[in-house]
Amino acid sequence: MRSLRRFLSRLGYFVTRRRDDERLREEIEEHIALQTEENLRAGLSLVEAWRQAMIKFGGVEALKQDYRAERGLPLIENLLGDLRNAGRTIRRMPWLAAVIVVSLAIGIGVNTAILSWIQTILLQPLPGVSGAANFLLVEPRTETGGYPGASWLEYRDLQTQVPALRDVVASQMVAFNVGEKGQTERTHGQLVSGNYFSAMGLKPAIGRFIRPEEAERSGTEPLIVISYDYWQTRFRGAPEVVGQKLRVNDRDLIVIGVAPREFQGTMLPLKFELWVPATMAPALLGGTRDLEDRSSRAFSLIGMLRPGATREEAQAEFSTAMAQLARDYPEASAGIGGEILAFWKAPRGPQRMLISGLAVLQGVMLLLLLAVCGNTANLMLARGSTRQREMAVRVALGAGRWRIVSLVLTENMLLALLGAILGAALAVWGTTALRVAPMIGSFPILFQTRVDALTLTFAILLGAACGLIFSAAPAVHLARLDPKDGLHSSSNTPPRSRARKVLMGVEVGLAMAVLIAAALFLQSFRTARQTDPRFRPEGVLLAAYDLSGRNPNEASEREFAARLLERLRSLPDVEAAAIATNVPLDLHGIPARSFTVQGRVRTEAGQDRAISNTVTPGYFKVMAIPLLTGNDFAEMGDKAAPAQAIVNEEFVRRYLNGADAIGRRLQTREGSFAIIGVARNSVYDAFGEPAQPAVYFSYRDVPWDQGEIHLRTRSGNETALTSEARAVLRDLDPMLPLYDVRTFSQHIERNLYLRRIPARMFVVLGPLLLGLAAIGIYAVVSYAVARRTREIGVRLAFGATSGRVVLQIIRENLGVITQGATIGWLLALGISAHAFPTGGVNLPVFIGVPAVLLGVATLACWLPARRASRIDPMAALRHE
Amino acid sequence: MVLKTLEVVGPQHGYGIARRIEQISGDLLAVNQGTLYPVLLKLEQEGAIASEWGASENNRRARFYRLTRDGRKQLQAETKDWEQTAAIIGRFFEAKAEDLS
Repeated sequence: MRSLRRFLSRLGYFVTRRRDDERLREEIEEHIALQTEENLRAGLSLVEAWRQAMIKFGGVEALKQDYRAERGLPLIENLLGDLRNAGRTIRRMPWLAAVIVVSLAIGIGVNTAILSWIQTILLQPLPGVSGAANFLLVEPRTETGGYPGASWLEYRDLQTQVPALRDVVASQMVAFNVGEKGQTERTHGQLVSGNYFSAMGLKPAIGRFIRPEEAERSGTEPLIVISYDYWQTRFRGAPEVVGQKLRVNDRDLIVIGVAPREFQGTMLPLKFELWVPATMAPALLGGTRDLEDRSSRAFSLIGMLRPGATREEAQAEFSTAMAQLARDYPEASAGIGGEILAFWKAPRGPQRMLISGLAVLQGVMLLLLLAVCGNTANLMLARGSTRQREMAVRVALGAGRWRIVSLVLTENMLLALLGAILGAALAVWGTTALRVAPMIGSFPILFQTRVDALTLTFAILLGAACGLIFSAAPAVHLARLDPKDGLHSSSNTPPRSRARKVLMGVEVGLAMAVLIAAALFLQSFRTARQTDPRFRPEGVLLAAYDLSGRNPNEASEREFAARLLERLRSLPDVEAAAIATNVPLDLHGIPARSFTVQGRVRTEAGQDRAISNTVTPGYFKVMAIPLLTGNDFAEMGDKAAPAQAIVNEEFVRRYLNGADAIGRRLQTREGSFAIIGVARNSVYDAFGEPAQPAVYFSYRDVPWDQGEIHLRTRSGNETALTSEARAVLRDLDPMLPLYDVRTFSQHIERNLYLRRIPARMFVVLGPLLLGLAAIGIYAVVSYAVARRTREIGVRLAFGATSGRVVLQIIRENLGVITQGATIGWLLALGISAHAFPTGGVNLPVFIGVPAVLLGVATLACWLPARRASRIDPMAALRHE
Repeated sequence: MVLKTLEVVGPQHGYGIARRIEQISGDLLAVNQGTLYPVLLKLEQEGAIASEWGASENNRRARFYRLTRDGRKQLQAETKDWEQTAAIIGRFFEAKAEDLS
């Protein structure tokens, strides 16, 4: 209470800055006068009386200081003073300050951006849902470790059998065909359980959500909820959308509400636009039996922990429930257990991979930031040594050690915080730039990363930590200063710091390794583009269709593919047409399949695997892949021919030792196939890959519900085929949209673009590290030079030319730099041998990069050295 | 000490307080009189004393300090504290070996 009052009174003084020094002066005068009178009365002379009074009173200046200290808020006053001082100091060194702030900003910005990604994945798995961290994935799990999903009936059972979970929510992703006949558009949505929206506590933007009772009875509630974006783009945000009809898979659904802006569904990072009650499945998906069939595991489940319940309880109950289901329904659930998973461990989706990648990246970037701090500390030390005199004067005038430390600290903290603010701005810019939704295949994905309070705090804390780290050395150094030494001379040669040189060497080495890696990646991409894919992508149009919404069976799938192919081939501009399940050079790669082949006995454990693609006859013609022996697949309508397969050269070489393949039997899970031909090797997953064994199957034998149409144009302009292809599909089924239409070249570009991301990271990181190393060298050398001004002066006075001085300084530092560079170079050699095992050593890169790096390093040495050599020897010596 | 002095002699200026402390202590406490002023300021900020300008004995302008009600309360509390402490310490000095047996 008392101290509070005191504080308020001080605060009052601090705010009003009432100048009552006058009062103290008067009081002192009065005091001295009274004492002098007293002394006079005691019989002293006037002068002696006054002198005695003064002695008795004590030091007036010290008293004033104490008085002032009692009066205001010295801490804050000092801080403000320091801040003013820091501002002045920084203004005096704009370039240095800019370098420090910018390099810190980059370091902090990158770290903040990465953290915002990590926290998006870890803490906000369900954008738009508060408390999403309480939601867990409820995944049935097979004995072999697969996650097959849950069936609808299983979901209904689990709802009541896992009491530790408050709500269990089911959803199934579906590609809907939205729109009137002939103008349908493929739109992704989810079939959801009735409690989907209520369990997540979502509030509709307008209208209402699906109610639990509306997903009870099958097919009675033709309702749909649309996403905010869909509402904005397709309905221009009109509120009348509620109650309107939307044509979905040839059925009218009534729009009842719009989801909140940020909500994008429950399968991050996929972005869904439509939500329909799961009970509409039979009506929308052509009589699917998903709702009655226990072996149709089409749904994903998530659950929210009941308050007070633990994940272990939920896991135990879930396991028990699954065990019971396996006993009750052995034909559908035998051997299927269950696992409760955090969202970022989602078995489907990139989270798990992203998190580990991001964690590594974050670690690397924090190290980078540490290197920035080291640089800054060196720069500060270099400056600090020129400021010794200033500090010595301050100490001599009575500044305490702590005041000196706090002065330096304030200066550096100001710089660090400026860096942090700029870094946060950079992170905001960076994360929004990265938010643009790239399309993977035809599926829109979106990570709603953003810089929020948590990440901002992180940025500021990081800045403060950096400030502390790079303040420590100069502050301690300056505070330990003996005022006598500082004022006298700069003659005491400081011990040469090993740490500084090591830092410099490490930075150079890092820059070397990363720059070489960047150059290698770039070059490999350039050469990859020039490599022959061994098929001909020019003049081929790709487009996809998907029958899954029509609930097809094998016969109808085969029938559809056959009719589609026939119609496409009859188009006048089409030279050749085919359908395939996979397209080479796809980002996801082409799946491999295990098999056994007649005439091969496997000696070691494991299974033979080969890339597998299912294609229609004519595929090899479209792709311009020659068949070396044998024939193309039998026509789609051929009912007599046995199941067929075509293998490639590498398959024959690796699994059949080059023996004749034709006529051999190939056994897979799908059945037995006769090998009827051998195709030339081509590129499947990536340019420059080593030859891979591959097997082609025929749509006739293994029909699929979706396919990629390949059309080779006669005229050379493949895009002109788009509308004709659309028209063909519309004729066959007006409700089916043709989607993901692109030329083969576009397809390659798009997937290369995504594959290039790591290379591009190196390209950004490389120059960054080079700059960092240059700053580091500059800092260390200027510090060393500043400490040796006198020595250099003496040398110059004794007749050394400035050129010799410069040379000597460069030679001294280049030693350490070369050591670091050599280590980095060897590291890069290791990376190269690991990443490009076949390529050998890329000499231009391994010579060119070191040349550039050493050039930059020499320049960074030369600048401060030249400055040192320019000093007037007399001035340097007069320092004494 | 300052508070007690003010309680005994009533409103007083700085010099008077300093003299008074010296007298009471029998000139044993002869600190720099200047150090009194920061203490006075601190007490004033705490609200234990108040000050105003007045005329001294020889008609000079001087600042007079007087005890406030808070100050009196504080003095009482501190007196009690001190007496207790003094009594305890006193008992330690009086205690003889045989008292403990």
